[in-house]
Amino acid sequence: MDSRNWMDRRFETGARYLARLTSRRSFLTRLGTLLVGAASIPLLPMSRAAAQAADAGFREPDIDGDAGDPMNCNYWRYCSIDGFMSPCCGGSASSCPPGTEMSAVTWIGTCRNPADGNDYLISYNDCCGKSACGQCFCNNNEDDMPVYVTGRSNNINWCLAHSTTAYHSTVALVLGRADG
Amino acid sequence: MRTALALLTFSFGLAAAGAGSAASPQFNYILHCQGCHLADGGATPGKIPPLIGIGKFLAVDGGREFLVRVPGVSLSIVPDAELAELMNWMLLRFSADDVPEDFEPYTAEEVGHYRQEPLVEVETVRVGLIGPYDETPE
Repeated sequence: MDSRNWMDRRFETGARYLARLTSRRSFLTRLGTLLVGAASIPLLPMSRAAAQAADAGFREPDIDGDAGDPMNCNYWRYCSIDGFMSPCCGGSASSCPPGTEMSAVTWIGTCRNPADGNDYLISYNDCCGKSACGQCFCNNNEDDMPVYVTGRSNNINWCLAHSTTAYHSTVALVLGRADG
Repeated sequence: MRTALALLTFSFGLAAAGAGSAASPQFNYILHCQGCHLADGGATPGKIPPLIGIGKFLAVDGGREFLVRVPGVSLSIVPDAELAELMNWMLLRFSADDVPEDFEPYTAEEVGHYRQEPLVEVETVRVGLIGPYDETPE
């Protein structure tokens, strides 16, 4: 008579049954599929920027070429930025990192897009609600004015006009062509 | 030939200068105003007054100059002629229903005159003219 308890016997039966139906190789195949599949979900082409912008009731216009690296301070949209670049902090050039909110009140300048040679109106909205990101500080001052011309200065914490005033990082939204 | 080239260069220069000084009211609005007053001219309660309804000022004495003497307008870096155009554009864009039928558009000279005296006590003057603005969000 088998001296083991009912749970051991049941598990042995189950394991033997499973072993008859499957091979180790098929288990590895399925495990591999699961791992690769799970890892590739974040790579699916989701439009994070559009999702965020849609929340703010804003869509960037189509532009002819948006060349460059949004995590590099020389990226064309950053010609008047003063702050931590949002893509380095978990967001994108046009969306705020998770856990922060985009300030509606902001400052607006113009930058030339080297891809098509046109000037564009760029809105440097701050991401608010968390302490400073601390990554990728970038300070370019094309057309920047002293702080006493408040509306034309990038040295202002634009989160001051937001419900939560803690500054985290900055985005660079393209508003449209600056044709004058 | 050289003279022709020089003339050509000169006229291109003039054209470029002309294009630079004739920014459209909409462009000036986005670059100089929209950052604070938002695309729809709505208020940020407790911080930034709305542009929606600014036409009401035209109906009271002193309102016409008030609109130009507020700091955002008078101290802006927009030249007089473009500022006059911008004022007329904003009135129709954000407050068309409030603009009186006999409204005379602002001129460069008029705007240039008013902006010489920027307002300091904006809130007090405003309340004296048409009362405090509605703090409830649009």
